[in-house]
Amino acid sequence: MAAVTAHGAPTLPRSSAWLLLTPALAMFILFFAVPFLTMATMSVLSGNPMVVPNPRFTTRHFERILDDVYYLETLWITVRLGLSTTIVSLLIGYPLALWLARARSRTTRTLLMMAVLAPMMMGLVVRTYAWLAMYSNRGVINGSLAWLGLTDEPIQFLGSEAAVVVALAHIYVPFMILTLSGVIARIDTRLEEAARGLGASSAAAFLQVTLPLSMPGILAGSLLVFALAISAYVTPIVIGNYNIQTLPMLVYQQISSSFNLGFAAALGIVLLIVALLLVGAYNRVMARAPGAA
Amino acid sequence: MAETGGQGARALALQSLSKSFGNGAPAVDNVSLRIEEGEFFSLLGPSGCGKTTTLRMVAGFEAPDSGQIRLGAQDITPLPPERRDMGMVFQNYALFPHRTIAENVAFGLRMRKVPKPEIATRVREALALVRLTGFEDRRPAQLSGGQQQRVALARAIVINPAVLLCDEPLGALDKKLRQQMQFELKTLHRRLGLTMIYVTHDQEEALTMSDRIAVMRAGKVAQCGAPREIYDRPVDRFVADFIGDTNILDGEASGLALLMPGGWRLPLPEARQGRASVALRPERVRLCPPGAGLVDATVEEANFLGDSVLLKLSLPGEQGMLARVPRHAEAGSLEPGATLGLTWQADDPVMLADA
Repeated sequence: MAAVTAHGAPTLPRSSAWLLLTPALAMFILFFAVPFLTMATMSVLSGNPMVVPNPRFTTRHFERILDDVYYLETLWITVRLGLSTTIVSLLIGYPLALWLARARSRTTRTLLMMAVLAPMMMGLVVRTYAWLAMYSNRGVINGSLAWLGLTDEPIQFLGSEAAVVVALAHIYVPFMILTLSGVIARIDTRLEEAARGLGASSAAAFLQVTLPLSMPGILAGSLLVFALAISAYVTPIVIGNYNIQTLPMLVYQQISSSFNLGFAAALGIVLLIVALLLVGAYNRVMARAPGAA
Repeated sequence: MAETGGQGARALALQSLSKSFGNGAPAVDNVSLRIEEGEFFSLLGPSGCGKTTTLRMVAGFEAPDSGQIRLGAQDITPLPPERRDMGMVFQNYALFPHRTIAENVAFGLRMRKVPKPEIATRVREALALVRLTGFEDRRPAQLSGGQQQRVALARAIVINPAVLLCDEPLGALDKKLRQQMQFELKTLHRRLGLTMIYVTHDQEEALTMSDRIAVMRAGKVAQCGAPREIYDRPVDRFVADFIGDTNILDGEASGLALLMPGGWRLPLPEARQGRASVALRPERVRLCPPGAGLVDATVEEANFLGDSVLLKLSLPGEQGMLARVPRHAEAGSLEPGATLGLTWQADDPVMLADA
């Protein structure tokens, strides 16, 4: 994602530099590389090597995914939820991030930052159940609509994809805002002034200068939200009311009820590959955008 | 005002401009200035004196709390920056990093919906003017500071602004480059007949480049006039001290003489009574044999400056004085500890308003 360059970093002998990296490297190997390789191995074995003595190499888990349209459909729903959530978060998050980054008064900035961070401290399960209460037949939304006389009977929000997207966007929008505002705050306001001085209206100055220069933030925030949304589990289950199936749910079912670790691993790998392909494509598109440095 | 064409048609007038930020002292306090068409006008002062805020109000980036800005006959105070017809050059250049040099220069023309072929021609001309032909497709980050500043200049003048505003444009350049850019700016100003407002804290820069200078202090204009006038006739202690080296001498005036603490008398250009102060430029002081001048002094330090020698002198009564003399004047007597006579013309000392 963001390339980090060390300017004027003091030079260390190579060996000591590696020594400094050791804790991070150990963490990475222990908690990322090993689990990932285990999962990748499991996905091509006929059985769990801890239980079955002589597991064989097999591609049957992947064949099963590709043969059954149900799994591909689930994959598509998962990706679609991720994309919609990302777009909604971006549309809601960008104006707020701009406000946060450009607010002159310290108080305004602090209050905004608190407003962004406070929901994050409540935990995702709590917020999901709050949405459940909002959406339910006698919940806040249906209650208000009925009271206003706009609806005769409650609208079935629960179980709809839109309801899940709204809830996911609400939960993940702080990540978008924090990422974006960091990037926007680093854009020199004099660039906008220069554009205004050269005859650009405030809208034109935004479109020609600020927006393109905030592309790296849009990219990073979108990737973050997308990655979080396609791996979401609790919110799609609760708000989707078991009506919407996503890949993480299938993975969980395979592990907890079918005890098919190999197939669960294969599903995970497929989701990872699809996500990586999308991220790669997105990166390429954005790299050609005018704002990419 | 009946201004129709000719001189002063596009003069810029600031009328009683004031601006405060928060609850502190006003950043700009009742400033009135008139900048004639084609004039190179500098706002000079230490940081925090309000010169940049004044410029930003002219550009439209800050709204004045009170007062008016007029361009020719038009009141431009309520206009947003994009409708003011000003070109602005920022200290950090403020080039668009995501656009090429040509695109940067073309920006103002594009915003003005100038036809494409004309944009291409004018961008080429503007870049030629700042000697950057061939740099069209580079990005700002690939250029040196001086080159970036020239791009910023080209971008500002390509739109033919009524007034070119410069906010310490050379502040980030090293001394040699700064001097070269000063010449280039001056040449451009003359060739294009630009009206310019130039903000700087560098008094030397302001003196060499400007037609007129407004020296600012604490949000107010301390003195406004031609460089020579400001240098030769500073109105008060602040201006005298801020512009160049100066000796400020305080004493008790009695008619045409100032009684100095060391017991000697300094002839005044005009009669005064009571406490008075004068400013005396070091280069006005001339050397003579001891006893033959207005006062005798002891050399404390003699600094060789190349074309001249700067003497740090001690006058009777523990008073210090600087004198700049040609390097060969009285060569033998310039050693520390030597005693010299000092003299100057009666009208060399300038009376200061604040004694």
